[in-house]
Amino acid sequence: MTPIEFRRRVFLAGITAITGSAVLTACGGPAATSSADAGTPVDGGNITFLIQGYDTGWVSSKTSISSYEGNLWGQITDKLVYVDDKGQLSPWVAESWEELNGAKDFVLHLKDGVTFSDGTPLDAAAVVANLNAWAKGAPDRGVSKVGLFPSSNFVSAEAADAKTVKVSFSSPALGFIATLAYHGCILLSPKTLALPVDAQADLAQEIGSGPFVLKSWKQGDSYVLEKRKDYNWGPAALGHTGPARLDTITYKVIKDTSVRTSTVASGQAEVAFNVEPQEIDTLKAQGFTVGTPKYLGFVDGFQVNTQAFPTNDPSVRQAIQHGIDREEIRSTVYTEDWDAATTFIQGNVPEAGDYSSAFAFDADKAKKLLDDAGWKPGPDGFRVKDGKVLEFPLTPNPYVPSTKAEDELIAQQLERIGIKVNLKVVDVAGYAAIQASRPPLFQTSRSFVDVGTVAGVLTSQNNGENWFNLGTSDQKLNDLSTAIASASDRESRKKVAGDLQQYVLEQGYFIPLNQLVQRLYLISPSVKGVQYNGLAYANFYTAWVAK
Amino acid sequence: MTSGYGRFALARAGQAAVVVLLAYVLTFLVISVLPGDAITNSLRDPQSGLSEADIQRIVQYYGLDQPVLVQLALSLGRFLTGELGFSLQSNLPVAQIVGDALPSTLTLASTALAIAVVFAIGIAYGAHYAPPRWAGVLRSIPSFFLSVPNFVIGLVLIELFAFRLHAFTTTDPNSATATLFAAVTLAIPVSAPLAEVLIASLDHESRQEYALVARSRGLAETQLFARHLVKPSALPSVAMVALIMGELLGGSVITETIFGRDGIGTVVQKAVTGEDQPVLQAVVSLSAVVFVAVNLAADLLTPLLDPRVNVREEANA
Repeated sequence: MTPIEFRRRVFLAGITAITGSAVLTACGGPAATSSADAGTPVDGGNITFLIQGYDTGWVSSKTSISSYEGNLWGQITDKLVYVDDKGQLSPWVAESWEELNGAKDFVLHLKDGVTFSDGTPLDAAAVVANLNAWAKGAPDRGVSKVGLFPSSNFVSAEAADAKTVKVSFSSPALGFIATLAYHGCILLSPKTLALPVDAQADLAQEIGSGPFVLKSWKQGDSYVLEKRKDYNWGPAALGHTGPARLDTITYKVIKDTSVRTSTVASGQAEVAFNVEPQEIDTLKAQGFTVGTPKYLGFVDGFQVNTQAFPTNDPSVRQAIQHGIDREEIRSTVYTEDWDAATTFIQGNVPEAGDYSSAFAFDADKAKKLLDDAGWKPGPDGFRVKDGKVLEFPLTPNPYVPSTKAEDELIAQQLERIGIKVNLKVVDVAGYAAIQASRPPLFQTSRSFVDVGTVAGVLTSQNNGENWFNLGTSDQKLNDLSTAIASASDRESRKKVAGDLQQYVLEQGYFIPLNQLVQRLYLISPSVKGVQYNGLAYANFYTAWVAK
Repeated sequence: MTSGYGRFALARAGQAAVVVLLAYVLTFLVISVLPGDAITNSLRDPQSGLSEADIQRIVQYYGLDQPVLVQLALSLGRFLTGELGFSLQSNLPVAQIVGDALPSTLTLASTALAIAVVFAIGIAYGAHYAPPRWAGVLRSIPSFFLSVPNFVIGLVLIELFAFRLHAFTTTDPNSATATLFAAVTLAIPVSAPLAEVLIASLDHESRQEYALVARSRGLAETQLFARHLVKPSALPSVAMVALIMGELLGGSVITETIFGRDGIGTVVQKAVTGEDQPVLQAVVSLSAVVFVAVNLAADLLTPLLDPRVNVREEANA
């Protein structure tokens, strides 16, 4: 943090504190009676949603997974399958599905009468066009595939009749149905998908089938959505049928976090995206709702490069694993809305187990591990072995708010056990270069809908992402990921997933911190009925404004 | 005289074209030095889960895998034929992005300039004619204006006028009132150098003999100011305004961020962080053209207005 930015933050904190107390007095009313969603929903009403930026445009393959654009995509498009915040899958545009031939073949049965907002039917042919776009993209038109779609074993998708789609894979694809609920897999009109990439950037060309449609927009500034009156195919799991209750949602870009927060706090807008975690308690006390949804995926934490100094030494990895006090991080950087991690995947993933003893904070144990491995305290307190100081660079993940404060604290904690951490703060552009340089610890954020995704990142098998830089050198890890990738039933896969979590944590391949909250929603007390899906996006289909 | 002036004009226009081209090439090279490129950086989001091979295919589509000089030649070729291309970040046409942002910036900049001029004249007049105690205070205002950071002024104004007095809403930053307060935020630091120059030239002019004569004829100070002092004192300030215009157009990013306005400053800031070559090239070239055109106009006008400038010497220089 540069001194100027630091001073600015301190100043903003001051301003916000003043604003906060002013609003508290102004509202005066009964604070903290948050009778969350009580009352009978009413139709009508408009909300304004403040967000810090819409910079990356509207090419769906590029921005549907973005924390920012994803919020808007979720209101104007539907998916085949719905996933709730517990990881439970349920029907949406796909009314039902069959898994055949050891999860190599699938049949999707579509809901009747679903149409895109231009009136064309969302039928089997349209779904096939979408499946092909997700699996392959169109590199010759500059359109990428959907990263987490099981492409490598995807064979074909075809329309058996107007309401039935058959999909086949060359090997078991247990994660396929779950992936249909992923935010990358939004259904768009085949006409939109056929456009060249630069034409797809025009939001007006993005024809979806969602409960809201685009009314007007000015790129980078504001976007007005209005409800689609004939919408009648929302997910049954949301407990609402027919059109949305709100008349309009206006997404308005306000870059400055303190202005976004104060605007909602003063009643000039209803929802603000990504407020500072430190302000949550004050805002809640004033009666505001603060949504801290957790997505299905990996927890906030570090991929460990097992080939780089000093994390090529297993005892150093173990020492870091036990030398980080995650409770202190939670209580100082975050609030109690953040949950402790029990493994390296989020607690709402059905396969997540409790392996917290494998990375419990124990400074004495960490020190002993380093002592035994020959890392002796040097003159300035940092440990030394063979003339080399025990130090490494660490870069906070710019995609997740407040990782900078988090990593600053980690640096202090590791200093206490004699490890020197050199913080290097970069922006998003710099982070890609950091990743390419394969640092000892790389802070990651990744959501997924199916635990099978984990198998694709651990090793370099099958074009895997090779997170730990092990290649295929760890035979046990190879076997475990192959077993997960090729599993054809969920029970046996769950057991292997458990063994895998235990092994990865014990080896210090992944260093979990806390469960990840990447998206925060500050919501005015008058807005009720907001729901969050398994990808931690707010859904305004069921939302309403109390009169 | 005519042929001399013709050669002079031609030389100046040639220099102007070279400056614009150099600005274009330099921006291109500076962006190329930054790590990665717009496409790789956005696709490498840990969320995306795309493999390096997947990313490489898309990078190839945009031609970003080619040597920098080849990219520069292609890009320059397009620029010279007037084609601005598409943003690498949002895929929208660059002309549309700049066109959308320009009106907001022009409104803000012109309002701010008007306010800054009013502030500066007010301060300078007061510094000159107020009772000595107050004049001293007024003379220190320009340095005070310069030393208060822009965002502090902006946040205080928003807090006071938007959230307390409800004079405007932050969700409608293009309304007349919101624009006015954004312009005040921008005008305060900009008015400072203007006021300083005005104060200095007023001091200078009022010591001139013609002013003494006017006073001794019994002319009131206000009339002296309005009839005799303003015009000569304004000359250096007019030159200052040309410089300030640049600051207003390019330096408004903080004001835009705080007031939620989408203008040229914001476009530049996004393009730099996203390494969005086409957008940045367009804005830099546009600014260079405007800057060079204004200076060219001034250069070409000066010899016509001021006979003391020797055209032939200038042309040979």
